[in-house]
Amino acid sequence: MIQVNLMIMEKKGKALVSMKDVWKVYQMGEVEVPALRGVSVDIHEGEFVAIIGQSGSGKSTMMNMVGCLDVPSKGTVLLKGKDITKLSESNLSVLRGRSIGFIFQQYNLIPNMSAYENVLLPLELAEVDDASASQRVLDVLDDVGLGDKVENRPAQLSGGQQQRVSIARCLVTDPEIILADEPTGALDSKTGKDVIQTLQRLWKEKGKTVIMVTHDLTLAQYAQRHIELRDGIIVNDYQNKAIKQVKKGEYS
Amino acid sequence: MRLVKSFGHALRMVLHSKLRSWLTILGIVIGVGAVVAIMSLGTGMEQSINNQFGNLGGDQLTLTAGASRGMSSFGPGRFGGGGGATASSEEVVLDRSDLQVLKGISDIKYIDTRISGRADVSYLGEEGTISINGVDQKVWAHIQTSDVASGRLLDSADSNVVVIGGRLADGYFDDPIGINKMITIEGSAFRVVGVLDDTSTSVYMPISMAYQILEDSVRDQYDSIIVAVEDEEQIDATIEKIEKKLRMSRHVTEKEQDFTVTSNKAIIETRSEMLSSMSMFLTAIAAVSLLVGAVGIANTMFTSVLEKTKQIGIMKAIGARNRDILVMFLMNAMLIGLIGGILGVLLGMLLSGLVPTLLSGTPMGRGGSLVTMDSVVLALSVSMAVGIIAGLVPAIKASKLRPVDALRFE
Repeated sequence: MIQVNLMIMEKKGKALVSMKDVWKVYQMGEVEVPALRGVSVDIHEGEFVAIIGQSGSGKSTMMNMVGCLDVPSKGTVLLKGKDITKLSESNLSVLRGRSIGFIFQQYNLIPNMSAYENVLLPLELAEVDDASASQRVLDVLDDVGLGDKVENRPAQLSGGQQQRVSIARCLVTDPEIILADEPTGALDSKTGKDVIQTLQRLWKEKGKTVIMVTHDLTLAQYAQRHIELRDGIIVNDYQNKAIKQVKKGEYS
Repeated sequence: MRLVKSFGHALRMVLHSKLRSWLTILGIVIGVGAVVAIMSLGTGMEQSINNQFGNLGGDQLTLTAGASRGMSSFGPGRFGGGGGATASSEEVVLDRSDLQVLKGISDIKYIDTRISGRADVSYLGEEGTISINGVDQKVWAHIQTSDVASGRLLDSADSNVVVIGGRLADGYFDDPIGINKMITIEGSAFRVVGVLDDTSTSVYMPISMAYQILEDSVRDQYDSIIVAVEDEEQIDATIEKIEKKLRMSRHVTEKEQDFTVTSNKAIIETRSEMLSSMSMFLTAIAAVSLLVGAVGIANTMFTSVLEKTKQIGIMKAIGARNRDILVMFLMNAMLIGLIGGILGVLLGMLLSGLVPTLLSGTPMGRGGSLVTMDSVVLALSVSMAVGIIAGLVPAIKASKLRPVDALRFE
């Protein structure tokens, strides 16, 4: 296994995300509940990683660490060589805004904003000038096939369309890492395949690093590497020899 | 995020929780409206009283016999002569020797000796008791400050003529008194030669005639002497000079001074001070409702932060810094304050326009109202500040939310 990992490192270059002996302990009243227990893992540029495990295995906690949404109780998380535990919360926000795009299970769109405004928000936060921001938003929405729905609010869109808005929002800042938390969890199988196909395309064609958290082993088959968590410990970390491809006929 | 963008998001937040925002805004509207209304009514009253008293002339002094009494009971013409024509004390009077002393003071421009009292007046069979002022007709024209509505003022050749106040001419008796009409005062006939453009019911006549009309008057003794000074700026110095010289001639020390010199300016100032402290007191009461409005904003903001917890989490996940969230919520609170302030000013203007009509007859109603730019700017700044202060704690709370917790919030 070590041999394999070394080979990957050589092939993939530097680690984008590097977790070293990461612990996360939640205080539940009097009781301390460890969600992660000494997790160490490197995720490299250009990988499509599926973090898999049952609910309660610690995979969401791990995603929060990778996404700089939370800091570990113990251990270090390096994102592009920067120790996130040493960054101020504002710097973490800036780092998140620039480097990471989130796709959530519940889409997490802001309900009183149109598709356009939702996708524009990350650019507003990054203080991108209005003209180029506007063009970029329209391009990205067009790219996910919602060019004609820019003025619709989330409530006026189907689940699949909402998830595509959230993908557009994630892509609009051109992040290096795409973090997808159960991205198809709330979708029917057809629209779910649309989403997974988009993720695969971003990985293959655009060279993005995609990290997907899922409990669905079928879905994980589309990823290149599997990291399996159980009770806060990595129990399996291997290359998926048979990466499943979404066939042309399966979506559209 | 740029401020203009934060402002846009804040405005959206206000507009998207319509009912709650508007209810909160209503609290501020009432507070600001009450403050503006009271402030402008106060200013209006102050100005109208100043106008009335301003007519007295800031360059004039009133000299009366007797030690200092309440200032407000003094005053020339229409305010004088409450009961009887004598000076306030049997012993203490103003007479020719005082006049001579005043004539020797170079800072004095005009001296008008006066007696006043009440007398029975009849006109076309109607009778009434009217305040009569005997004035030195040679100088009265120079120091009286009302406009002449019709006719003329007194001149030195006049004897059995009078100038009457505007209300006596029109409104006191059933029939209006016009120029050249004859009125009977204590049995003697007088011709009206002029009507003043004011609201008084006073009668002005040459002092020589007033001595004959007013029963207990004594020739060459005066109820008051009105003095106009050369230089209004030096009025205090002139008062001192007059007091000093009169004390010498009357052989009294400063402690036993038996006369009083009052400047009209002092009367005006006392009145304004009284008024402004009254309106300040009322404004303070109104400000309490503004305070309640502020509590309303704080309450709304806390609710809003709670309601938007997930949204805050999303925004933080996609790159919002603490500062961005803080500014957005502060602007939201400030906007509620500002909108409340603007509407409050409008309400205040409306109220201050209505109150004089509703309360006509009371001092507040008489004064009218005046919404000054100052009070508008003050009201708007205060309401914005109230919004920001009330929104500060909720906004800080929002900005400090940890993204992971906020995202989990349902």
